[in-house]
Amino acid sequence: MRRRGLYISLVLVAGICVAAWVGPGRGSVAGPTPYKVAYPAYFGNRVNLREDNPLTEEGVRLGRFLFYDKRLSRNGAVSCASCHQQALAFTDGRRFSVGFDSVLTRRSSMSLANLLWVRHFFWDGRALGLEAQAMVPLTEAHEMGQRMDSLVPKLTRTGFYGPLFAAAFGSPEVTQDGIVRALAQFERTLVSADAPYDRYIRDEYTMTPAEMRGLKLFFGRAVCGNCHGGPKTFDETYHNNGLDKGNFRDSGRFDVTGLDYDRGRFRVVTLRNIALTAPYMHDGRFKTLEEVVDHYSDHIEPSETLSPTLKDLANAPARMGLTKGEKGDIVAFLRTLTDTGFVRDKRFSDPFVGQQARRGEALAGPR
Amino acid sequence: MKKILGLLAAVVICCSATAQGGAAYSVKVSGEVVTPLTLTAADIIAMPRTNATAKDRHGEMHSFSGVAIADILNKAGVTTGKQLKGENLAKYLLVTCADNYKVVFSLAELDSSFTDRVVVLADQMEGKPLPAGMGPFRLIVPGEKKPARNCMQVVGIAVKFAKD
Repeated sequence: MRRRGLYISLVLVAGICVAAWVGPGRGSVAGPTPYKVAYPAYFGNRVNLREDNPLTEEGVRLGRFLFYDKRLSRNGAVSCASCHQQALAFTDGRRFSVGFDSVLTRRSSMSLANLLWVRHFFWDGRALGLEAQAMVPLTEAHEMGQRMDSLVPKLTRTGFYGPLFAAAFGSPEVTQDGIVRALAQFERTLVSADAPYDRYIRDEYTMTPAEMRGLKLFFGRAVCGNCHGGPKTFDETYHNNGLDKGNFRDSGRFDVTGLDYDRGRFRVVTLRNIALTAPYMHDGRFKTLEEVVDHYSDHIEPSETLSPTLKDLANAPARMGLTKGEKGDIVAFLRTLTDTGFVRDKRFSDPFVGQQARRGEALAGPR
Repeated sequence: MKKILGLLAAVVICCSATAQGGAAYSVKVSGEVVTPLTLTAADIIAMPRTNATAKDRHGEMHSFSGVAIADILNKAGVTTGKQLKGENLAKYLLVTCADNYKVVFSLAELDSSFTDRVVVLADQMEGKPLPAGMGPFRLIVPGEKKPARNCMQVVGIAVKFAKD
């Protein structure tokens, strides 16, 4: 008993110490406000937050403006949101995206949902962290084509960003580092966790019989869940999913590692909102979910690096031979991953829209 | 016939790796080590050999050979044996495979002062290089009901502290 009393008083002292230490700092310097990302416990806490870029309300706000600002491209033609449109779960509905100069990208635009749990970015995982990722499309010759040393003065001249940078990072100076940090902060807040499937997990939604049969197939006999398992529906692994018979037009992960067994391997992506993110695969070769399920059921191609998950016991490409009904059930389940709240969430939408309505074109020129 | 084909495939892959300039496979040993290592096939074949067996997907038993993980840890200067006590018991091994699959062991699970089980980093099956898709390096964890930690194409072994 006495021991417990001592323990409690120690905790109290510790609590007071923390309060005393935090108190004056917060009172005297109005720093940015920490941003708390809400997500369900069943997503787990293996989040990829960076100590040197903590999420703050002000940083996320700045990042949101930058994400939707076409001035970030060389000629003002495209913003991040051009290829990552909220209504399409931050994809663009095309096989390949159109850069500022109308040249097409090499791979299909990726959905931006639940990136907080991702460590390796792009289809080949070449960027370690969202900060490093953001630099690539910004500066890529045929994406936004923007030299960072000219972007900084360009954004400084707008006069619009100084106060936003000051609020987020303590100085009105527009910096390259601040741009990518803020973009990364905004992207980390894009959590999609309120699809019918989530409500099913939370016991708030009853799956239809077809959706339920699809769920059982997905996590069972059709082995989709081997790579797209768990409530987040992805495992951050690389697989060759049997799209081609060797001689890959796109070597995928091999381009990053130079190791032969990585030829034709691509990162397993989330299936959240998958009904909104057509076309599918790194090269957007499949127009519909039905085509995707057909591929996994009947058309896996052999190659030396084909994922073991997609081979049968004789090491040949698996032929699941799902019936038409079973394929339909899986597609029905995939549609329960559509989070309509996520694609309409005002926190993720174009912040310039309201501003322009209120202020006309006074917003520091065209963007 | 299948074995011969498998061997041929392995040879073809090895040759194509050099022909097309594919990088050399290796296993990086990092983290809470005195000496970080990058072990190539030549380094591993030169270390003391250990055997282990494991069932394949058909339930058929196969013999593997390679290097005891414990030997690799000793070579890298990890706190094994008499040093494996106190806070060192809060250390774990994070094994990463080429496809980014990861499995964990506590150091005690791999230490001969705790267990007789020898976990092996295998580079040969039935006396031949591991077949494509499995190798060049994989783990064999004897006596486990599920083969999930017998992971393939190992690229990294990191010793870490559980810091909580």
